Amino acid sequence: MVISLRDVVVRLGEVDALRGATLDVDARTVAVIGENGSGKSTFARLLAGLVPAASGSVRVLGLDPARDVAELRRRVAVIFSNPDAQIVMPTVAEDVAFSLRPQRAREKLSKDATAARVTDALTRFGLTELAERPAHDLSGGQKQLLALAGAFVREPELVIADEPTAYLDARNARLVGDHLLADTGHRLVLATHDLTLARRCDVAVLFADGRVRSTGDPAEVVSEYEALLTC
Amino acid sequence: MLSLFRPGTSPLHRMLAGPKLALLVVLVLTVSLLPTAPWGAAVAAATCVIAYLFGGGMPALLLLARQTWALKWVIAFMLIGQLIFLGPVPAVLNTVRVTAAVLLAALLALTTRVTDLLDALERGLAPLRTVRVDPARVALMLTVTLSTLPVMGRIAHDVREAQRARGARAGVRTFAVPYLVMALKHADELGDALAARGVR
Repeated sequence: MVISLRDVVVRLGEVDALRGATLDVDARTVAVIGENGSGKSTFARLLAGLVPAASGSVRVLGLDPARDVAELRRRVAVIFSNPDAQIVMPTVAEDVAFSLRPQRAREKLSKDATAARVTDALTRFGLTELAERPAHDLSGGQKQLLALAGAFVREPELVIADEPTAYLDARNARLVGDHLLADTGHRLVLATHDLTLARRCDVAVLFADGRVRSTGDPAEVVSEYEALLTC
Repeated sequence: MLSLFRPGTSPLHRMLAGPKLALLVVLVLTVSLLPTAPWGAAVAAATCVIAYLFGGGMPALLLLARQTWALKWVIAFMLIGQLIFLGPVPAVLNTVRVTAAVLLAALLALTTRVTDLLDALERGLAPLRTVRVDPARVALMLTVTLSTLPVMGRIAHDVREAQRARGARAGVRTFAVPYLVMALKHADELGDALAARGVR
């Protein structure tokens, strides 16, 4: 099972953002949908080990995000909605290379090998021409592609994307969606308000009021969500 | 704001980050410690020009002029403050020396990739391990500070725009509070992004 939750409660200050969420999912691409405040972003952050569970059990790729955080960070990459907040280094190429620093130190990855992987990632996400540009000067769409390059250069087993198209126009949202959903050997958990993107996933999970309301075929789950919205 | 890295093939670009850092630190200290005399200011200015000739990624003197122009408000602030307390000649001489020191320090960022600087700092700070300070963490902190400067500038711009859009009058409190809130929010998000990239 890729993701397994049992009665998970997550407390953010005084608020229970997840209230006894239970879920078992084993699919390559999983869409997570729901209204604002329904718990989908908290769920994404929980899987990434960025917020702890107050109670219940969590398993991601067989790991406990609270205990196996180092191993989790090696195997999981995260993409956030705000591309500006993901830029760490001044130039595009350096920012992508920064993602490999922990791996360089751990696995003694050579400078040449690092450079080759950065070049590959820049090519894959169409950023080669922008390699030496200041990362903060890019457009919103280019910044999110940079975030993808920074995530995928690590060759993660699982990518967790928390509303990655929220700040983008339709064209860039589609481009980012295409990259995320492309089968390159990774699994994907995609928290999104973009129902077209959600329909393209293998499985969809609907969150409501901090709990999992339904799981299954994306077309059916999205229809259920749309019916809820018209109530 | 002073410019960040510009690709190039100048002698300073080709120099290893560690020795370059040491050289520029020595030059900055030397220029800073020169006496407040006309020859001191002349040596400071000449050192700055020569250093830029060795490190300019574009026509060196044009780059120097641009960098100096970027410092115009700092220079004006220094000059006016000293004019009041020290008189015109010492004010000009001191301002020339300090400006030269800042411009020399900026050459490091102009000719060194942050990644190389990060590696050099990690190596240079390695002895700190004996007092249980993690050099990688210190180097990263310095690097992130450097690369966050443009974000802080953009946040300030956003706050001013939002104020104007709502017809608010400019003021320290009306600027500082939202600026601080947005800066802290950015710090929070950046912390998550670093953690997500495997930085502990």
